[in-house]
Amino acid sequence: MTRGRGEFFCIAEVAERLRSIFTRWGYREIVLPVVENYAPQIRKGTKFVHENGFYLICPDATSRIIANFGDVEKMRVFYIGEVLNGGVRGEWQAGIEFIGGREGWMQAEVLLVAITALEALNIQDFYIDIGSLEVWRRATEGIESFREDIFAALFRRNFELVERLPLTEKKKRELWALFNFRKRSSGIDRIDRILRIVGDNRIFVDFGTVRPLPYYTDLIFEIYSPRAGRPLGGGGEYRVMGKEAMGFTLNLNTLLSLYAPRPRKRRVIEGVDAKKAYSLARRYVEMGIPVEVEQ
Amino acid sequence: MRIILPKGRLFSPALKLLSRVMELQLPEAHVLISPDGRVLVARAMDVPVYVEHGIDVGIAGSDAVEERNSDVFVPLELPFGRCRLSVAVPVDKRVEVEDMDGFRVATKYSNITRRFFRKMKVDVEVMKLHGSVELSAHIGVADAIVEIVDTASTLRAHNLVEIAKIMDVSALLIVNRISQKVKFEEINALLRALRREINGA
Repeated sequence: MTRGRGEFFCIAEVAERLRSIFTRWGYREIVLPVVENYAPQIRKGTKFVHENGFYLICPDATSRIIANFGDVEKMRVFYIGEVLNGGVRGEWQAGIEFIGGREGWMQAEVLLVAITALEALNIQDFYIDIGSLEVWRRATEGIESFREDIFAALFRRNFELVERLPLTEKKKRELWALFNFRKRSSGIDRIDRILRIVGDNRIFVDFGTVRPLPYYTDLIFEIYSPRAGRPLGGGGEYRVMGKEAMGFTLNLNTLLSLYAPRPRKRRVIEGVDAKKAYSLARRYVEMGIPVEVEQ
Repeated sequence: MRIILPKGRLFSPALKLLSRVMELQLPEAHVLISPDGRVLVARAMDVPVYVEHGIDVGIAGSDAVEERNSDVFVPLELPFGRCRLSVAVPVDKRVEVEDMDGFRVATKYSNITRRFFRKMKVDVEVMKLHGSVELSAHIGVADAIVEIVDTASTLRAHNLVEIAKIMDVSALLIVNRISQKVKFEEINALLRALRREINGA
């Protein structure tokens, strides 16, 4: 991983490439303030008190967007920023949120934005595992009192916790099959239709994939690479004031471990006459050509 | 597949269990990694961090996993390293946890301790130490400690008494989230072999 001062440049370079891809997909950048008023539904951030008010520094972007933009009919936005989690050092994240899209289309689009974003960073060896909370809700119908225990087992990937529950052997076998379900298609129309639209063989259906965030409603996904020990990112579906929405977050600090910085492209202008050099440089800049005046 | 083992009390039973289900090339004395690079040894408290950041599998105490709050899978509890994490005070200053407001509590487990007292709505000052925690309460540097208790003989030797259990502790097999996906078969085979060995089936 790139360390030290070089890391700051790399994060900016990665952010710039992601910004370019998100914009090309029609997403508008949203810049959220560093400090947010404290609200229980806003996740993460570092809490502090100022003049009897409670605040959060750099909380999670998705929960802030849900809290602040729930009234819009349709919105495609992206953000790039640091997220703190109770401490003073955080993680840089870039992500998109699509609120109010068309069923099936919106989910496919969000996955495609994630795929093209990683490809823009020249990261090809990644996978996306899609899980479904609805599948687990259906599998635990009639045994709702054990749902929390079953989800706890799933988060730990510890089937022994399910084995200890007073469930029938048939139900345990069914849950075991879901625990280990990892295939190219799900047999569920809704999910398979989305997979067909996306058409990328790096996507798997893995019902063992769960993300412990309270706002997800059904589909959730995790992006990872065999070359990185931690997830590159993840996302899922949620609901905002009755509208369906979906988004994802990429963990820039983890992406850096896979990212090979590229040489900066710019026209270098040399000369002894400053007026001429800067006159030429200005013309290049106006034409959209990056320049650097050698001094 | 790379495996990381904890130094200290869990090392021998962990090694014994693993060597019954797989061939292991061990690190030489004073070396922390085996010649083939597949077996690593680290401080018990650091094992969850290594696994979270890319080592495939590790064995760690549930105390370390809880303290580090690491994002790892915990597919198996192991039948050794059982003890408890408890609050202890000097014998002559015995109190209820609810009455510990303003106490200075010394511990290696500052995160677990903060969470425990916050949940109990008791405001304490947590003092982070890296070992020999019993000494702090014995000589009065701290009012109480939070420490691993097995037979309580170390507590008794320092005139301390256990007043509340925070959690039961045991050894756990922990797995990196990404390894569970990309080395699915290999890791599941290890889990099956360990389950067979533990359950005697």
